[in-house]
Amino acid sequence: MYILGQQLINGLILGSIYGLIAIGYTMVYGIIGMINFAHGEIYMISAYLFAIFLALAGVFGIDSLPVALLFTLAFTIIITGLYGFTVERMAYRPLRGSTRLAPLISAIGMSLVLQNFVQLAQGANDQALPPLYHGVLRLGGEEDFVQITHIQIIIVAATVISMAILTYVINNTALGRACRATQQDRTMANLLGINTDWTISLVFVIGASMASVAGVLITFNFGSFNFFIGFVAGIKAFTAAVLGGIGSLPGAMLGGILLGLSESLFAGFVNTDYKDVFAFALLVTVLTFRPTGLLGRPEVEKI
Amino acid sequence: MNRYFGAVVLAVALLFGAAGCEKKSDVIKIGVAGPITGAYAKFGEQLVKGATLAADIINAAGGINGRKIEVVQGDDQCDPKQARAVANSFVNDKVYAVVGHFCSSSTIPASEVYDEANILQITPASTNPQVTDRGLAAVFRTCGRDDQQGNVAGDFIAKQLKAKRVAIIHDKDTYGQGLADATKARLRTHGIKEVLYEGITRGDKDFNSLVTKMKGLKVDVIYFGGIHTEAGLIVRQAREQGLKATFISGDGIVTSEFASIAGPAADGVLMTFGADPRNLPAAADVVKQFRDSGYEPEAYTLYSYTTMQIIAEALAKNDVTNDGAKLAKYIKATSFSTVMGSKAFDSKGDLKVTDYVVYKWYPSGGGKYDYKEL
Amino acid sequence: MNIPAALKDSAVASLIALALFVPMIGLVLKGQSLNIQLLRALFVVAAVFAGRMLISMLLQSGLLGRLVEVIRKVLVYLSPVVGLVERRSFRFIGLLLVVLVAVPFLPGSSNYLIQILSLTLVYVILATGLNIVVGLAGLLDLGFVAFFATGAYGYAMLAQYAGLSFWAAIPLTAGIAAAMGCLLGLPVLRMHGDYLAIVTLGFGEIIRILLVNMIDITGGPNGISVPRPTLFGLGFTRRLEEGQLGFHEFFGLPYSASHRYIFIYLLILAFTVAAIWIFKRLREMPIGRAWEALREDEIACKALGINHTTTKLSAFTLGATFGGVGGVFFAAMEGFINPSSFTFVESAIILSIVVLGGMGSIVGVILAAMGITLLPELFREFENYRMLVFGLAMVFIMIWRPGGLLKVRRKTFARGGHGG
Repeated sequence: MYILGQQLINGLILGSIYGLIAIGYTMVYGIIGMINFAHGEIYMISAYLFAIFLALAGVFGIDSLPVALLFTLAFTIIITGLYGFTVERMAYRPLRGSTRLAPLISAIGMSLVLQNFVQLAQGANDQALPPLYHGVLRLGGEEDFVQITHIQIIIVAATVISMAILTYVINNTALGRACRATQQDRTMANLLGINTDWTISLVFVIGASMASVAGVLITFNFGSFNFFIGFVAGIKAFTAAVLGGIGSLPGAMLGGILLGLSESLFAGFVNTDYKDVFAFALLVTVLTFRPTGLLGRPEVEKI
Repeated sequence: MNRYFGAVVLAVALLFGAAGCEKKSDVIKIGVAGPITGAYAKFGEQLVKGATLAADIINAAGGINGRKIEVVQGDDQCDPKQARAVANSFVNDKVYAVVGHFCSSSTIPASEVYDEANILQITPASTNPQVTDRGLAAVFRTCGRDDQQGNVAGDFIAKQLKAKRVAIIHDKDTYGQGLADATKARLRTHGIKEVLYEGITRGDKDFNSLVTKMKGLKVDVIYFGGIHTEAGLIVRQAREQGLKATFISGDGIVTSEFASIAGPAADGVLMTFGADPRNLPAAADVVKQFRDSGYEPEAYTLYSYTTMQIIAEALAKNDVTNDGAKLAKYIKATSFSTVMGSKAFDSKGDLKVTDYVVYKWYPSGGGKYDYKEL
Repeated sequence: MNIPAALKDSAVASLIALALFVPMIGLVLKGQSLNIQLLRALFVVAAVFAGRMLISMLLQSGLLGRLVEVIRKVLVYLSPVVGLVERRSFRFIGLLLVVLVAVPFLPGSSNYLIQILSLTLVYVILATGLNIVVGLAGLLDLGFVAFFATGAYGYAMLAQYAGLSFWAAIPLTAGIAAAMGCLLGLPVLRMHGDYLAIVTLGFGEIIRILLVNMIDITGGPNGISVPRPTLFGLGFTRRLEEGQLGFHEFFGLPYSASHRYIFIYLLILAFTVAAIWIFKRLREMPIGRAWEALREDEIACKALGINHTTTKLSAFTLGATFGGVGGVFFAAMEGFINPSSFTFVESAIILSIVVLGGMGSIVGVILAAMGITLLPELFREFENYRMLVFGLAMVFIMIWRPGGLLKVRRKTFARGGHGG
């Protein structure tokens, strides 16, 4: 029994991790209708920035862990956002209004650039964070128990909270209205006085900040990263976003959790070798019956 | 028509540009191939650093019969396709011998290219049996074989640890799976049947469900065939979930990065590896030179150094020939004295004596971890 | 000239660069401590300032515009690539063909060069196949590598278990790949755009994972060795099989590995020409028109009575067939295959060739395939920087020519303003 409970928790956490990265993905997609292939690399960069600023906090003699974390988190989010901004400026803005595939290819190029840039700047070796904090919640006996660490609780909470905040922002604020207008009809939005270039830049910055929240929490949880982590994370997050219906924020979270649960349960009770096959087979099945994902808006066929 | 002409000239120039231009000189080119970029770049760096320092020292002492060694790097990213491209570019560059490659899955396809061009290849790191078992004349390795390593691990698990419930995990790579299979076979001869045999995916970070599964199976020993990145995460997540099984792995985790990923969970982890060359008296000078230059000669660095030494000596004694078969014959008949002690090879190209022993990670103070022979 | 404005722009750019690069380049992680290399970061920032300044000056003086114009003129003059080729691509291809056939026999040729060229041609075959799916039918396929793998492993396994020769394996493997294409096509008929993309990506990953996991059949990560093709029963290997006559023995030549390289190269070349010819014919046939029509407006097509099921399925099937054939040649050329050659990155590269070359274009795809295989080889000297440069090149080419190197302009569909 406790094994099943533990596996469900494992799946929930893994799913929240996928969801957290997928939210940034889906956010950008929802506004400009384009897969941001470099999102995974932005996440990878934020993991590096987190470790760098944490070390820097040590150099400045900030000993208290909460203060150091606050300082680190703030700087990581700002600089990662700036990376998102720069990527958009360099690889996407010049391609505004061209074919749908052009930005996809320049995004693949950009992710190669970022990956190799980090490798050259920081070296190819695996980086590690020492376990900083060990809080854990255990239920059950001495041997048989179900557990969840405090960091894992924070990850789940962060996913839900950021999903809620972003959904609110999109639906109820001026910025959200500008975003939705830009998505609907860019020319019209421009005519109505919305600076669509800035709106898109801002969306990229928000997307990158979401990636950095994910990068910080996940690095904190697993404790290791290298310049290659963005690739796997990107593909899994992309899968989660599409599963939930790309462009939908609650969908990203739902897709992530479904993906995480299915992987965990399959690995735990059937076989680890084939867990990815199962996850992708699930994706194909879901999309066969719901071609626009779980919470995606069905495409309106204009006649 | 002349408009086409321009395009054709351009195309031809491009094609031949790729072939590179020939340089005439009397340096002896020696190729060093490995994953210089990509996910395994750390190991490629070890190969390059080791071979380059050896070449520098040999050159400072007058080179090979008065000619200097020039190290030519080849980046295969551990991709078989790239490995063949690198091998062909080495052949094209007229290298005299090759140090490399790193991943067995690259070494094997590349070795066919070298074999056809009759070029000597010595890998410092590829431990898969297939590397030397295919009967190629001029392929050697200065490391051990997975089956030897698996035997040592299997015996240790059965006799020393007296394990009852063993889980065998591998990373679905030529190296990792080869190692896991060798260990599995050896355990079977001791009458131990594993309770779990599964493959993980490289690049994954979350192994919690695997750990929970092993907890449910109440395993007392986890054998892992793979490299440090995943090993560190698995052992860390196992300890987090309170799984106390002994963790044992192979030479893929012989790097300080393993301990920094695993953190305190590294304490007590076992692994098989050749006797640490850094502690050999013959290596003292070279190790000091490495450390002075700010580089810790971990894992395969000294293996690569040794490989370059063997190549240099074979070339020196054979009038600097590029005839791989001739060099191979000499190497098989000779015992070399290297920074890793005396090395001799059997008729397949494997080391006659391999010295796999079991190491244990322990806390060396100040939050750091180091490993020592058991 | 407005120097203050240029200075302001450059200052902003270098401020951003300062924030981006000081932590990433200037502070290098070393365990839990930092190795501070601020000078390195400042150097890069200075380069950004200078670069931005230069661009501003050029832009203001109108020099940049003129420079671009000059480059364009030079290109127009130098290569038929820009205008002429599109109209007379057959002549260009014919000429290129003569050069390609001659290359192995020219002085300065080597096995290395021939292998790279063979790989380029394999990519041309693959990209031609994907061009049907993406370029003509407009179906975004991110898992094309699945068919490539099917072809390569199909040949390897048919040879290993059924003892089939290379020549018998080609049609069989092509058939298997076609069946796979059809199989994939069925569930995705209702999907569009990115949903289609992710499902095809998933399909590619499933195939690769199966290849890795089914060790008893595929050899798993250890890979599988592939027999070399023969010419009318003449072998090309140093150690021949029992009872086999070697090419070199038959012609009384000393053994040379380059015979085999040249043989396989010419073989692939012949098939590449065939593939391109088939593609060209398909494009002009009713089915090709139907693909393009479906790409432009699916609803209109349905209304006009085009059967969108068979049209889409045929695109997937034919594309997959090309992919399978490309895989057979790849396996024959490499002599050893393992699953790491069939990752998602490979799909991305093939797609890049199609998009960089210009969707639906033949010459563009050839040029892009050359660029994508030759560029990393040319940059081999730079080792660490070569993939960085490669990525940058992809970004800049897309910005410079968003429609690909050669944008196909079809007179028949010239409507202006609206395009795929």
